[in-house]
Amino acid sequence: MSTLLLLLAGAACYAGFAGLALAMPDSWERAGGETAAHARHRLRLQIGGVVLLAASLAACLWRDGPGFGALLWGTLLTAGAIAVAFTLTWRPQLLGRLTGRRPR
Amino acid sequence: MQRKPTPRLLLLLAAVPGAYLLSALAVGGIGAALAWAGLARPEAVVLGAMLGFVICLTALLWGYRTALGWLHTWAGVALGGVLFAVFWMGTLSVFDREIDRWMMPATRLQPAPPQLSLDRIAAAVKPAVPAKASQWRVDLPTDRVPVLRFTYKAGADEAPVRQLDPALLTLLPEPGSLGASGFIFPFHYGLHLKWLDLGKWIVGLAGMAMLVLLVSGVIIHKKIFVQLFTFRPHKSLQRSSLDLHNLTGVLGLPFHFLITLSGLIIFITIYYPQAHTSVYGDNKAAFSAEAYGKFSRPKAKAPGTLGSIDAMVARAEQEWAGGRPYFVRVWHPGDANSYVELRRSYAHDVTMNLDQIYFDAASGAILNRFEAGPVMSVQRFISGMHFIQFEHWPLRWLYFLAGLSGCMLIATGFLFWLEARRARHAKRGLAGVRVVEGIAVGSVTGILIATLALFAANRLLPANASLASADRASLEMWAFFLTWLATLAHAWMRGRAAWRDQAWIICAGALACVALNAITTGDHLLRTIVAGLWAVAGMDLMLMLVAALAALAAWRMRVPAGVARASIALAGSP
Repeated sequence: MSTLLLLLAGAACYAGFAGLALAMPDSWERAGGETAAHARHRLRLQIGGVVLLAASLAACLWRDGPGFGALLWGTLLTAGAIAVAFTLTWRPQLLGRLTGRRPR
Repeated sequence: MQRKPTPRLLLLLAAVPGAYLLSALAVGGIGAALAWAGLARPEAVVLGAMLGFVICLTALLWGYRTALGWLHTWAGVALGGVLFAVFWMGTLSVFDREIDRWMMPATRLQPAPPQLSLDRIAAAVKPAVPAKASQWRVDLPTDRVPVLRFTYKAGADEAPVRQLDPALLTLLPEPGSLGASGFIFPFHYGLHLKWLDLGKWIVGLAGMAMLVLLVSGVIIHKKIFVQLFTFRPHKSLQRSSLDLHNLTGVLGLPFHFLITLSGLIIFITIYYPQAHTSVYGDNKAAFSAEAYGKFSRPKAKAPGTLGSIDAMVARAEQEWAGGRPYFVRVWHPGDANSYVELRRSYAHDVTMNLDQIYFDAASGAILNRFEAGPVMSVQRFISGMHFIQFEHWPLRWLYFLAGLSGCMLIATGFLFWLEARRARHAKRGLAGVRVVEGIAVGSVTGILIATLALFAANRLLPANASLASADRASLEMWAFFLTWLATLAHAWMRGRAAWRDQAWIICAGALACVALNAITTGDHLLRTIVAGLWAVAGMDLMLMLVAALAALAAWRMRVPAGVARASIALAGSP
């Protein structure tokens, strides 16, 4: 259970930042999203990103309580955000699915 | 940016002591005022001192509000070397106990049995305690430390820590090494400069500079949101190192800021002694006793007995609602007024509690109980965030990665400074780039090589090695410092090529350490993994990872054959 919550927290953190990143036009295009469709998805990506980050916090707090939970979330945020940045650098197409484009 | 450096330099020299003096005065005033207003005295001191760092930071930033870019550049260049050393050693300290196992092969034991009899331990160490000892202490094994640690004090001399096998209760051979917890960790906060606490003050200055750098960096960063996730390694080195600098700085900001601030707050009594002197005068001992707890009673100078420590532990666990002790200390052993101190473990909590219970040694009656006040508990939570003495593996790894991102932040800061000026300095014949590049190489790749030299010396020196008055453990330290000096000299001689040279040395050194461990102890990777000695296996795996990354970096920095020939030809032409 505790491993599952940890994985969940990490995944939600990564996906949350991916959403926030794709809400920016630059990252959206790098991930292969269509320029015209961006405005339509933007708000959804931002809300989704924030909700996922909150879910990550919830998972951390549920797993570890307030003390360790807060530390876990705080450090996961940095790790997740940097992981998203590196994905956009080296494998941006991995985030392509989040742009709503059908994988070819 | 560089037009009029002199007046600003003078301003800087005035502003730093100015901000500190201002905050020190404020700390003294706040401490005294809070105590006068009725807050418990130790609480007033701790609150005042903790606020000092915030006041100092605010004063510095306010003083430089018109020159934050300049401040960021020059504070970084001036203190980047110290900062990298502190971050590197701090990052390694996250796994100090694991590195200890690697550096002290005799302690590569299986985990200790969960229930240890302290009465049996007391009987086992008794022969090693001299008659005149004023106290002896045993630290119990933990998940990360499979040995018992025993020490005593007799008069002025404090015996070095001896390790015991918890299963057999026999003394292990002297490790002949300070290990990571004795060398790397103290280096992290004191640089091993003990005179006048100079090392701690330099680290404190660098820490305050780090806070200033972080805040000013965010303020001068013009595209903080647009480039939040931007890293473009294929662009120029100047561009890509700035990307990485911004990335690690902004995304790692909460960690870097809090780890630095908490590191400063640990040493409130060193950096802000005004807090306790304004409330307690010269009586620091009274402050320590009231804030951190300490019971004492004089010797009776008549013989006495030691009752069952196990019974005292059982009593303490009741008092602490299941909390377990992590060390036992017997004061005035053998005296009629002897007493036993138990400290509560904080292995499962961020806050490093100060809970302690004192028992009469003969009867086992409770003499005194201590628990920290609320403000002190906040200070201990902040300290615990920094010390990570708790058992939490995911968090430990995340701290390690975040620490590495801090190292990257500092190194890329250096790189950006160098690349932004390289062409200009060369054209105008300025020495700046050459000097700073020497410092940068020496403090980044140089300290990595020096660390590897420490590990290699640890495996190469014979068990009873000594030279002049230096014992084996000191020789390991000398290997570190002399190697570091050599890398600095090399960096100054080789200029830009030193990065590549030293990357290759790191690769070779890390692989040599793995080989030396296998040869001198027989604990090669296959065996340690099968035996579940994860501390040793992890260290070897990390060394191999370092070697691979260093090789990759060195290979990427290779000079294409054509360019090399051309530059040799160019250098050879009159």
